[in-house]
Amino acid sequence: MSDDAQKSRLKFLPTGSSLHKLSALLTLALLIVVFSFTSSAFFSVNNGLTVLLQTSVIGLLAIGMTMVIITGGIDLSVGSVLALAGVVAGLLIKAGLPVFPAMVLGTFAGAICGFVNGLVVTKMRITPFVTTLGMMLVARGIALQLTGAAPISRLGEAFGTLGNGSFFRVVEMQANGFPKVVFPGIPYPAVLLLIMALLGAFLLKKRQIGRHIFSVGSSEEAARLSGVNVDRTKIWAYTASGGLAGLAGMVLMSRLVTVQPNEGVMYELDAIAASVIGGASLMGGVGSISGSMIGAFIIGVLRNGLNMAGTSAFIQMIIIGVVVIGAVYIDQIRNRN
Amino acid sequence: MLNASTSDTPLVKMVDIHKQFGGIHAVEGVSVDLYPGEVVGVLGHNGAGKSCLMRILSGAMSQTSGEILVNDSPATLNSPQDARSYGIETIYQTLALANHLDAPANLFMGRELKTRFGNLDEPRMLTEATEALRQLNPNFKNLRDPVSRLSGGQRQVIAIARAIYFQAKVLIMDEPTAALGPSETAMVSDLILRLKSEGIGIFLISHDMHDVFELCDRVMVMNKGKNVGAFRINDVNKDDILSLIIKGTLPEGWRPRGGDQ
Repeated sequence: MSDDAQKSRLKFLPTGSSLHKLSALLTLALLIVVFSFTSSAFFSVNNGLTVLLQTSVIGLLAIGMTMVIITGGIDLSVGSVLALAGVVAGLLIKAGLPVFPAMVLGTFAGAICGFVNGLVVTKMRITPFVTTLGMMLVARGIALQLTGAAPISRLGEAFGTLGNGSFFRVVEMQANGFPKVVFPGIPYPAVLLLIMALLGAFLLKKRQIGRHIFSVGSSEEAARLSGVNVDRTKIWAYTASGGLAGLAGMVLMSRLVTVQPNEGVMYELDAIAASVIGGASLMGGVGSISGSMIGAFIIGVLRNGLNMAGTSAFIQMIIIGVVVIGAVYIDQIRNRN
Repeated sequence: MLNASTSDTPLVKMVDIHKQFGGIHAVEGVSVDLYPGEVVGVLGHNGAGKSCLMRILSGAMSQTSGEILVNDSPATLNSPQDARSYGIETIYQTLALANHLDAPANLFMGRELKTRFGNLDEPRMLTEATEALRQLNPNFKNLRDPVSRLSGGQRQVIAIARAIYFQAKVLIMDEPTAALGPSETAMVSDLILRLKSEGIGIFLISHDMHDVFELCDRVMVMNKGKNVGAFRINDVNKDDILSLIIKGTLPEGWRPRGGDQ
């Protein structure tokens, strides 16, 4: 009886993390309202889909980043790993492999980078910050060395499908013979992001590995003494982050229909910002995929809205920096109460 | 009780255990055994090696040399999982709880219950945890709160429940009452007596002489990594034990004190 009463009470009262998520969601809504006033073109179906497309790369990175951050680590290498994965896929296509297996292998290359990160962090006991900082340079170096720093182009039309294709695209032929896009369609990257986010949330919430990720981040010693395989859990998280960075690389390079070995610089910072804005704690043990997705969209909408309003890229950097610090500050105030 | 239990095979026997950290001998040639339904107090001041010895038995640390026998057969305890597979459970002084997770998640940490499809079985973990915790503390209600928000007593209850839920045969309790108030301490004492009557063997690390004399059947005192004395509780008094803890020797002219009475 008291059990039921307690359950219903808990359902109505938002707990700490859902409170944070709620405030992040309100921030997102507020941003959309404000930008709708500053630019008439902002609040439209077309622009909404553009934001969706632009955010999908950061969103994919943020899923893996969130898992690593929950273990109490950080992955600074995702931007470089994204570029290396793209280079691997591009070179394989140039070597004659069809697009799909090349993209799978490119993603796999990203996962291998993540796996190496995990091994170095757990077996060599080097802090995640230093390990992934090293991997950031190594992966970028390999990507530039393999390509001679030149973009790989002419990869064929099929390479652009993942980044530029969409579901439910409605095109109408007009009387004058020109096609008119009635509905631009839901971009493949957005659908991919949704699938990966759901998968990530499922793994974190419903599977043992997710529970272990939270345990390790909350107290590594307690997890170890309780029989959790701490090393395996961490390696898993870094591998997932690397694999998702590889996948994000496929999406980004496909959108450009060109492999750019110097793409993705500083993307790790956007991914970290998305996780932190979404309520993940850099101390470990706290975070959620849904929160990080809201965080990714806050950054995406902020970028897009500021662009539409004609704000310079430099001012954008300042604003996003201030937003990240603000989000962490609000989180700290909440935790103190 | 004592005579009855000594006829059985020991649950655990640690033989000539050594542990070295570089040049430092944390544990030097210590042997100890534990019989079903017995509470053995492991005493000594800080740094005497008692926690180290118990960590070896719980699989959190491995010995430099020496042998561990579980039910008279040699056992290798390389990890806490190994120790648990032999029915050796530990309640750590630090409690080893993940502060951000709730009580059921902590109770089943590392041994999560799963559904047929391999997903976490949250409802079953919650019911099982509710039952296990209510047995120890009927007032335990806020199960879904992160354990960082619970009181010291409640946290201790989770750590204890975690050890006994999985049918421990050997229980290592490291200062189980150090962080507790009087009523909670009494609860832990009752629990120890109950577990003892169920045939579980308990190693009790404690500084509290009152607890030791109330609960233990035997005591072993460690000093500077060595076993300086193992006695039936009736053969010694507080002063003898304090002398062993502090000086490492018994008082002059010591004779067993009425153990046969």
